[in-house]
Amino acid sequence: MKANKLHPPHWPRRVLRWFHPAETLEEVEGDLDELYAYWYQRAGKRQATWRYVLNVVSVLPPFVKQRQPKNEYHQPSLIQPSMFRNYLTITLRTLSHNKVYSAINVIGLSIGLAAAMLIMLYTKDEVSYDQFHTNNPNIYRITSKSITPEGAENVDGNTGHFQGPKFSAGVPEIRSYVRYKGDRSDIKKGTEVKSYESFAADSSFFSIFSFPLISGNPNTALKAPKSVVISQKMAEQHFGTTDALGKTLLVKDSFGEASQFEPYTVTGVAKNCPQNSSIKFDVLFPNVVSKEEMESNENWFNVFQNTFVVLQPNANLKKVEATMNRIYLADAKEAIKMIAEKYGDKNKVVYALQPFTDMHLSKDLPAQNGLQDSSNPMFSYILSGIALFILLIACINFVNLTVARSLKRAKEIGVRKVVGGGRGQLIMQFLGESFILCFAAFAFALALLQLVLPIFNELSNKALSFSYLFDFELVMGYIGLFIATGLLAGFYPALVLSNYSPVQTLYSRFNLSGKNYLQKGLVVLQFSLASFLIIATLTIYSQFSYLTNKDLGYNDKNVITIDKSRMSRNEAKLLKEELLKSLTIVDVAPKNGGRWGTVAKVNGETQQSFAYETVDATYFPLLHIPIIKGRNFSADFPSDSTKAVLINETFAKKVGWKNPLGQVVDFWYNEGEKYTVIGVVKDHHFESLNEEIKPQLFTMKPGNLYGKVFIKIKPGTETASLGHVEKTYKKLFPINPYEYKFMDEENIKRYEAEAKWKQIMLFGAILTIFISCIGLFGLATLSAERRTKEIGIRKVLGASVASITTLLSADFLKLVSFSFIFAFPTAYYAIKEWLQNYPYRIDISAWTFAIAAALSILIAFFTVSFQSIRAALGNPVKSLKTE
Amino acid sequence: MRRTYLGEFEEVVLLMVAILDGEAYGVTVSQALEEHTGRVVTFGTVHNTLIRLEEKGFVSSQLGGATNERGGRRKRIFQVTALGSRALQEIQQLRHELWQMMPPTKLRLTGL
Repeated sequence: MKANKLHPPHWPRRVLRWFHPAETLEEVEGDLDELYAYWYQRAGKRQATWRYVLNVVSVLPPFVKQRQPKNEYHQPSLIQPSMFRNYLTITLRTLSHNKVYSAINVIGLSIGLAAAMLIMLYTKDEVSYDQFHTNNPNIYRITSKSITPEGAENVDGNTGHFQGPKFSAGVPEIRSYVRYKGDRSDIKKGTEVKSYESFAADSSFFSIFSFPLISGNPNTALKAPKSVVISQKMAEQHFGTTDALGKTLLVKDSFGEASQFEPYTVTGVAKNCPQNSSIKFDVLFPNVVSKEEMESNENWFNVFQNTFVVLQPNANLKKVEATMNRIYLADAKEAIKMIAEKYGDKNKVVYALQPFTDMHLSKDLPAQNGLQDSSNPMFSYILSGIALFILLIACINFVNLTVARSLKRAKEIGVRKVVGGGRGQLIMQFLGESFILCFAAFAFALALLQLVLPIFNELSNKALSFSYLFDFELVMGYIGLFIATGLLAGFYPALVLSNYSPVQTLYSRFNLSGKNYLQKGLVVLQFSLASFLIIATLTIYSQFSYLTNKDLGYNDKNVITIDKSRMSRNEAKLLKEELLKSLTIVDVAPKNGGRWGTVAKVNGETQQSFAYETVDATYFPLLHIPIIKGRNFSADFPSDSTKAVLINETFAKKVGWKNPLGQVVDFWYNEGEKYTVIGVVKDHHFESLNEEIKPQLFTMKPGNLYGKVFIKIKPGTETASLGHVEKTYKKLFPINPYEYKFMDEENIKRYEAEAKWKQIMLFGAILTIFISCIGLFGLATLSAERRTKEIGIRKVLGASVASITTLLSADFLKLVSFSFIFAFPTAYYAIKEWLQNYPYRIDISAWTFAIAAALSILIAFFTVSFQSIRAALGNPVKSLKTE
Repeated sequence: MRRTYLGEFEEVVLLMVAILDGEAYGVTVSQALEEHTGRVVTFGTVHNTLIRLEEKGFVSSQLGGATNERGGRRKRIFQVTALGSRALQEIQQLRHELWQMMPPTKLRLTGL
């Protein structure tokens, strides 16, 4: 037929092929061809082409209707109870057949899940800080930013007496304010005096914060000056009952000079503060501010407490802050000028508001000065990172082992497919299996969580309890975690296994030992994570031992410190004389309490800030601090106490003195107060090693009160010395709380944060390595099993046990070595960043990496060789006989 | 009983399929339409209508065997189902009954 030779134009046909639904393309194309020939014959080429194009368009989307594909076979529903029963039976059978793999999977997953759950619990607690106040989110803290004339900025969460009342009076959006100040108070119970952390707050405290009172009126509890609100715990401790309303507490303010114990009436007993609260008080006094203090405008700059405000809901934060700063500039105009003249302080201050709930995890404006538990969000990130590592590694194990084991199940899959099992059904079966394992792991994880929670609490400084788990959000989170883990671990194996062709699995010898890049990649990933953690742990360990063992520049052995606030020269002299009566005590040196700092002029006009230490001549010899230039204070020079100072090396370096002796330090804001430098002491770490050595200036100025004494005792006489010290102290200062500390122990306590890091990293690393190793163990077992015959033949042909062991282990060790390529650079970068936090730090040494590498390889080798040796020792007759 | 609605064009196409009796596919249906009713419609319209009729269950289809014609492409042959022929008969019947009810004068008045 001639008509059939007529071909329609090319391009509309191509368009048709591109866009027409595949389902009906064949028939439509044929039909149109036929129609083209028909039109051609009837109306000629032009007409035919034109109609052809038109008709092609009519069968293109969106004009064309899609034909619903029709299933040629009846598809059984995926959900069939009898099939489910079968899946379950098979699952349980395979699990009990392969006890090692099942155990590895369940143990690994449950450790991973437990770690993840723990961290979720932890972060939940971190995020929940201060959320329980009903006035949230309208509670803010007043913060300030001071900007130096050079443009350097410094933020501060502290405020003084003024900011609260003045801003509250001038800004209509501020509903109320409360000032909250931390303090220490001595409280007498019978004859015993104990020092307590106490707090003072304005009477609006209980209306702003949601701390319920068991008894007492929250609105008036903090109104009267000599009243006190105590916590349930304090009431039980002190009165033996929570029914303490109206009873009196004998309290002495430990800072007031000549203060006496005075009775305070308990006007309220509060429920113990929740664990996740930045404000935790046991003893709370009313905040008493004298009239004079509120009148001296200089007090704008005297900051020492936290001030919180409650804003109207929907208040515009920017507007409120702007109004606050206007008020400040108007009210403090004179004071700003005055301090600029008097102290040369030309810093500009800008006030701002910080949401109360942001405080706990804030790095720049942490919860401090009476506010507790300030936390570094870094901690949460790193913990989450470790938990994620562990979970990921456990999931990798699961994937690896399931895929590797699938050889044994290939026949099952083939048979299932041949008798009509669809891919969907197989996917469901394998996903279901992984969920069953996951469920078992989940149950184990809960038990594990219960077990390790106390240890974790100690490490993280928290009081988390198992009952916290029964919280809607957390339960949802855990269910999410469960499903995510099940999918993560089960999805890939399900896809791979269901994809096997039945012909291959049943007919030919199915070969799975191909390239297996995924399995290899996952092993590399696992060991990269593990080596990373080993390196991190090693670094933290050596940095920690560096911090605790570094020579501080003074001798802190056998030195006791005791605090005695506001100690006069006479009291100090008397104490020293009395103490030295015992032969076990070598020397006694008083010093100011706390950390003092001030500013003075040097070289004429240069201002230098420094740590300001009030000591006496015994201080340096007692602590073995060498004086490298000049001389110590001396009784031979009576004018030393009013005319002379010592400085440390850093001071001399900072101000650029080549020859510091005889230079003058001018405390210009006190008329005529000038000192001559008589000596330079060697730099020593008087603060923690996390801080750089600051310029230090030592004086004996009689007006400065001492706050503590250092007592050097003879080695091995701790008991006798302490007894004597306590007796003497109580005799001389009966109304002061007595507490002693050993200086070397205190110095180690400074690195508690590092010590915790160390432990957490160690746990993380051990868990990661453990899970990685059991995974590797499983793979090695499978690999040895798969090669049973090969090993048999090799042995028959004369291979030695050693050569076979090497053969079997080498593959895995290669992968582990390969993982270093990824682990080392990332670890190097991470520890370099971390060490930047420390002004005094270890150098990153190649040894760390070498040890980590050796450790990884060694651990991996032991794990793998266990199986390899067993396989190599097997009798070849047996392995060759079995088919 | 709710009947599936059959549109006018659908009815005509269904009739064509019935008339063509085993020879009905896109081309023949289009050609028959043009020939017997004088209506020239695009191929897409016929294609869509046939699919719709099949979805409604009035016709069934089958891909014919490959032939040397049309470059070996198969044809989709349509056949009227029992449901389809009953629907056609019902329409016929209904029309007939309605015609019977028409007053004879009416026809004359309108010039029919």
